[in-house]
Amino acid sequence: MIKRLLIAAAALAWLGLLAVVGAAYFIGFKQAAAWPPEESVQPVAEKDVPKTERSVQQLEKRMTGLLPRGLYIVIDTAANRLYLKEGAKIVREAVVSCGSGVVLEEPGGKKRSWVFDTPRGEFTVKSKITNPYWVKPDWAFIEEGEEIPKGMEDRIESGTLGDYALGFGQGYFIHGTLYTRLLGRNVTHGCVRVGDEDLKAVFKAVPVGAKIYIY
Amino acid sequence: MVLAILGAVVLAAVANGAAVDRTALAKKQAALATEYGLAKESSFYFVLDVLGRKLELRVRGMVLRSWPLQAMRFWGSPGFAGTVELVRKTTLKAPERIVIKPGDTAEAQPAPAPAPAKPAAKSAPAPAAPAEFDLEALELKDMPKRFTLDFDNGLHVTIKAEDAASRGLAGSLSDGLRWYIGLPLRNLFGSREGKRISELELTFEQGQDAQAIYWHFFDGIKGIIL
Repeated sequence: MIKRLLIAAAALAWLGLLAVVGAAYFIGFKQAAAWPPEESVQPVAEKDVPKTERSVQQLEKRMTGLLPRGLYIVIDTAANRLYLKEGAKIVREAVVSCGSGVVLEEPGGKKRSWVFDTPRGEFTVKSKITNPYWVKPDWAFIEEGEEIPKGMEDRIESGTLGDYALGFGQGYFIHGTLYTRLLGRNVTHGCVRVGDEDLKAVFKAVPVGAKIYIY
Repeated sequence: MVLAILGAVVLAAVANGAAVDRTALAKKQAALATEYGLAKESSFYFVLDVLGRKLELRVRGMVLRSWPLQAMRFWGSPGFAGTVELVRKTTLKAPERIVIKPGDTAEAQPAPAPAPAKPAAKSAPAPAAPAEFDLEALELKDMPKRFTLDFDNGLHVTIKAEDAASRGLAGSLSDGLRWYIGLPLRNLFGSREGKRISELELTFEQGQDAQAIYWHFFDGIKGIIL
């Protein structure tokens, strides 16, 4: 008797669940029947068509006005690629190295930390340097387990940044590299490393003030 | 008489065409106005073009990356207006940054890569070709191929890749239960409470596409859904 009651209760519960799920599916299916729901988009009133068309043209003109003029640089930090572009056209594509994403924590002392990411956003070329030398920041010594030097002259290292460098602010540069085999990988401390030939071409082509988009 | 009937038919056709154009015009104006609001800022933004089956990362109106959708399905009320803002990304196992503490006796922690503890970009001679060298770095390959994007308007977007979709029988059952039972039930009771449920599932062909989206979509990124 109890067994029959239990089976009946289970069957009713199962039917109830099917009914609820079916109702939910039906409601959801109706809501999801079209993309987008036609009633959510109201057509423009006939008398407003010329005004709306003018508004669309104005918006399109404004959008075009936002585009960068002349040559600009786009850097994809995931794919480690640099594109020199003019309008929609890719003038040159280069394999580069971007930031490693590693966090360096200073042992003892001031407990500072650095995150080695290539910054993302819109920048401009602020400086162009030939035969750049590297003024090593504190983290470069901490990373090697060396003491931080007191004198500026002990921080200067030449030959590691290649023949050219383009600065885009906050101490970040697009520069050359000795480690060409690591191009295409995320290995840097935030700067963008480029191979010699590509760097020379980009350096010669791009003026100070050109836009750089890093994403 | 025949001319009058023909004229009436032509007028009706023109009116009908104009009505269709007016709807498209309204959509175009709304989309452009919303996008202009995002494009005039210097931040990156995204455009999810559902009918065009693509997700794009843009800045200043320019397309930086475009990812074609392999498949899409959704639940709930998809009528989005204005911009949405990404609140958080959720995944089963989020990629972790490698933390280096020079001078510590312990190895670098937590390192998803099995390479020995060496800081990235050391001034040592580079070994073999990059493809064979395992780096301690956050790279594209470390990003997840399946994750959820939560937006400020309550929208949940699940991103997954076709080539990484199979998670075995348990995964398929879990997916099926969530989509065909969990979501309908939420939809039913959510509708009663007056809450909009919006759930989108986007499938991309390549795992790298999903990984790139995870990489490029930062918390706070704004976008529009067409």
